[in-house]
Amino acid sequence: MLIPRKIKYRKQHHPNLHGRAKGGTTVNFGEYGIQALEAAYVTNRQIESARIAMTRHIKRGGKVWINIFPDRPLTKKPAETRMGSGKGSPEWWVAPVKPGRVMFELSGVPEPVAKEAMRRAMHKLPMKCKFVKREVEA
Amino acid sequence: MSEVRIAAEPRTEFGKGAARRARRAGKVPAVLYGHGTEPRHITLPGHDLMLALKTPNVLLRVDGVEGNNLVLPKSVQRDSIKGFLEHVDLLVVKKGEKVAVEIPVTLVGEIAPGGVLTQELVTVEVEAEATRIPEGVEFDVSGLEAGAHATAADLVLPPGTALVSDPETIVLIVSAPRVEEEVEGGEAAEESAEAPAEAAE
Repeated sequence: MLIPRKIKYRKQHHPNLHGRAKGGTTVNFGEYGIQALEAAYVTNRQIESARIAMTRHIKRGGKVWINIFPDRPLTKKPAETRMGSGKGSPEWWVAPVKPGRVMFELSGVPEPVAKEAMRRAMHKLPMKCKFVKREVEA
Repeated sequence: MSEVRIAAEPRTEFGKGAARRARRAGKVPAVLYGHGTEPRHITLPGHDLMLALKTPNVLLRVDGVEGNNLVLPKSVQRDSIKGFLEHVDLLVVKKGEKVAVEIPVTLVGEIAPGGVLTQELVTVEVEAEATRIPEGVEFDVSGLEAGAHATAADLVLPPGTALVSDPETIVLIVSAPRVEEEVEGGEAAEESAEAPAEAAE
């Protein structure tokens, strides 16, 4: 599972989810991609689950790129705890994803296979997504 | 490549308010520049422009502007989700002038069974006459086996076109497929690597 190797501060503020993605909005590495249509925190478990769903469907061949990295910790207080006594302990690692961001890319498989693989992966993600293809711009 | 005629209107009001009004009216703000001329701000019909830009490096003849009106799209800004056109930069060109443009690389044929084809280079930069820009370059991958690769120098460019990109740039690689067992093994390795990261906290 994806996790930062080294961190400077254990507990951080919640990442910002306002606005749209300002980069990484096009398919750059592969032929097909999954684009986020809503903002959400994507946990490392969800990323891993989506990757496995995709690679299991394409079986052999094909190449997968993961364009997001869960480098922000989220904390949680234990259940049945009174308020106060400081911030909770780090519980999840998340990637803040804004609308427009291409999160996964895929190449080396026919389009129907890629579409189905990505449909399966989208079910593992916490936001509405769409399947996108690479376009050659002017 | 034949040129596409498109009608333009000069733009007199600027800023995001004016640009949004133009977009609501189905028009696209654009700017024309090049050859040391003053930038000219125009609006173009959105649907016609969208159809024209489906051809990469389309040569446009912009009607309704003074002076040289033969242009190439230099930069196209689109909405990242809906994909509609937001703004277009148009570069003024002259007939017979050589321009450096990026043309798409298309792979044709089937590789030998047992290999995975990865296209590393999707567009290649070439120099060509502004009025004779090729629509793309094809590369035949028939029979390529695992371990094979091709560089930009291997592309057969149309006559009158010269390569600008580094000839050593890798265009495609044919690799052996990864098997599922390796993926599972990789997962186990990644999970075991989590411990030091958590300890570092």
